[in-house]
Amino acid sequence: MSFDPRREDYQRLGLRFARELDGSDPATAVHAFSSFGRRFASMRDTLPQSDADRAFHLVADAAVMVDYQLPFAPDEQVDGLVGRAQALLDEAVALDGGCYDAVRMRFAGTRPSFESSYDFLSERAPEVLAACRAQAEAAAAGSFPDRARLGSDIAMRPYWRWMANLAEKALICGRNRACIKLAHELLELDPSDSADVRFTCALAYAKLEDEQGLDAFAAKNAALERGIGAEDAWMLLSRCALAYKRRDFDGARTQLRRIIDGYPHAALNLMDQKELPEGVFSRLAVGPGTEDELMLAISEATVLLLDGRYPFGAWVEEEARRFATPQDLVELEASKKERR
Amino acid sequence: MNAREELVERLALTRRAALGGMSDAAFEELRLAVREAPESFIDTPANQAFALIAQALERFERSSEDDDLLDDDEYLKARRKRHARMVADCDQALALDESCTDARLLKALASEDNPDVLLGMLLDMEEPVEAEGDAWDDVLLRPQLRIRAAAVRACMETARYRMAVEKARACIDLSPSDALGCRHSAALAYARLEDEAGFEELDARFDHRSSAWSLLARAILNFKLGRMGAARRSLAGFSSLVEGGAYALLRPILVDTYMPDRPAVAPCCYEEAMFAVHEADPIIVDVPDFASWAESQPAVRAAAQDYADKYGYDW
Repeated sequence: MSFDPRREDYQRLGLRFARELDGSDPATAVHAFSSFGRRFASMRDTLPQSDADRAFHLVADAAVMVDYQLPFAPDEQVDGLVGRAQALLDEAVALDGGCYDAVRMRFAGTRPSFESSYDFLSERAPEVLAACRAQAEAAAAGSFPDRARLGSDIAMRPYWRWMANLAEKALICGRNRACIKLAHELLELDPSDSADVRFTCALAYAKLEDEQGLDAFAAKNAALERGIGAEDAWMLLSRCALAYKRRDFDGARTQLRRIIDGYPHAALNLMDQKELPEGVFSRLAVGPGTEDELMLAISEATVLLLDGRYPFGAWVEEEARRFATPQDLVELEASKKERR
Repeated sequence: MNAREELVERLALTRRAALGGMSDAAFEELRLAVREAPESFIDTPANQAFALIAQALERFERSSEDDDLLDDDEYLKARRKRHARMVADCDQALALDESCTDARLLKALASEDNPDVLLGMLLDMEEPVEAEGDAWDDVLLRPQLRIRAAAVRACMETARYRMAVEKARACIDLSPSDALGCRHSAALAYARLEDEAGFEELDARFDHRSSAWSLLARAILNFKLGRMGAARRSLAGFSSLVEGGAYALLRPILVDTYMPDRPAVAPCCYEEAMFAVHEADPIIVDVPDFASWAESQPAVRAAAQDYADKYGYDW
């Protein structure tokens, strides 16, 4: 499960709306709730909401712009989109200083170095945890268990995202031990791994060439299997890299085969190894086992694919070529031309 | 590789074996005689092959003396030619003695640009080494040690850091004096793997003797572990203990394939820094902000600038 900003915005207001209906008679409540979807879509201001809810709505709008629209926007629209997103985030922070998604995204908008991002996220993590915990405790105090659970879960999400982002930054900064430690801390607090930080962590184990560590980690998280019939692409790429590093080429090929069998258009993407911009709100919400998911995994695995003077990525490209269809090769050519 | 010296040693040993029962003093006399006129002592195909390799290496070194004056295209052309000549020379040596390990090693280094393939070739060339004491002391075992040291470097080039460490340690076990400097590759690999215990243990094994590699590796290791104060201090150590170290780090230059091993240079001199920085390059790039952080250290920057001014290098 990843974080969908729109869905979260809906959940927040839905939850608040349900709370407001407590105490009214059931018939009125049912009637009122039937209108919620329509009001959310077109008359949002008529729904009860706090400043924090309003701020999050702005975050969701900014997230959609930056993470989902920007990558496809023509050049002339880029500055406009970025400017509008920044303005929304400024407004969100003005409304709610504790809107940590906005705080984090705003900082990312200043184009800091990897190091300063890492420092920023790392220094403020305890403050974010304390704030989210306080919110979560307040939300958990309600009388309906399901609602209390959802409420406290939503309250914690900004912290999950913060930590997942910090772990990702640690990986990129070449601090693989820190990345693993952060991921374990987050998994301890959120065993369901809402942020899928285990994907990032798998790559860090591969970077440290810690095969035993990776195996133990995979076994520990086996319950988080998402029903795509195979391990996720991050884990498979990590295992593949480790086999390659051992010069167990057959073993590495077995892992590549698993990726190719499990994900659509895998050969093309394994040859192309496109680097995508990192999601600013969180890792992009894509379906398990989809081509999009594979693209994200490959992009994040750049730290493995480009490691060394003659990197693992060159071998992956060569191997994947054997599985390429003529159409894949045409598309690869087009993609490479576009990048030039 | 000091091939001329090794040739003398080989020839003296061959002659002693042929003559039988010789005192140490007599052997010393023989050695001097061989050094005066090695050619007249070449009497086996194996020694003849080795003599060709010694010549080939001298020719190779001479041909790269003017590289600094060439532009990129000219350089690549000269390099290609030099490598082709080396391959031809090795073939000639192998025609005389197909088991000439150094010829096989040099031919592989000169002909294979893909380190992944090269590593496979080197591993195939490895043969068991049995030595009493330090294997380096037996001149006939040195080629096998060179194969292993080249394999360690090929591991580094292909991001096989764990394997690099394992192979380096195995080589150091065979030759604790580690004349080929496998410990240097291992120090960098430990930094890359963020393995502080491994790094310290190796450093202690060599009595904490400073080298450009160990000092640079320590700075990278501390940086990766997020100990910025320690990273600053270790970088300052690298900068002050290694002549021109700061300049080598901030203005890295291309170092060509070692043929067949690292040229011998004085500890902590500028050339050593150049080698260390070149070998560390993939590891430095893997820590994207390390180089800019190093450059932002005022003392390091000043040291680099001073060094450039002193020798008239570009800054």
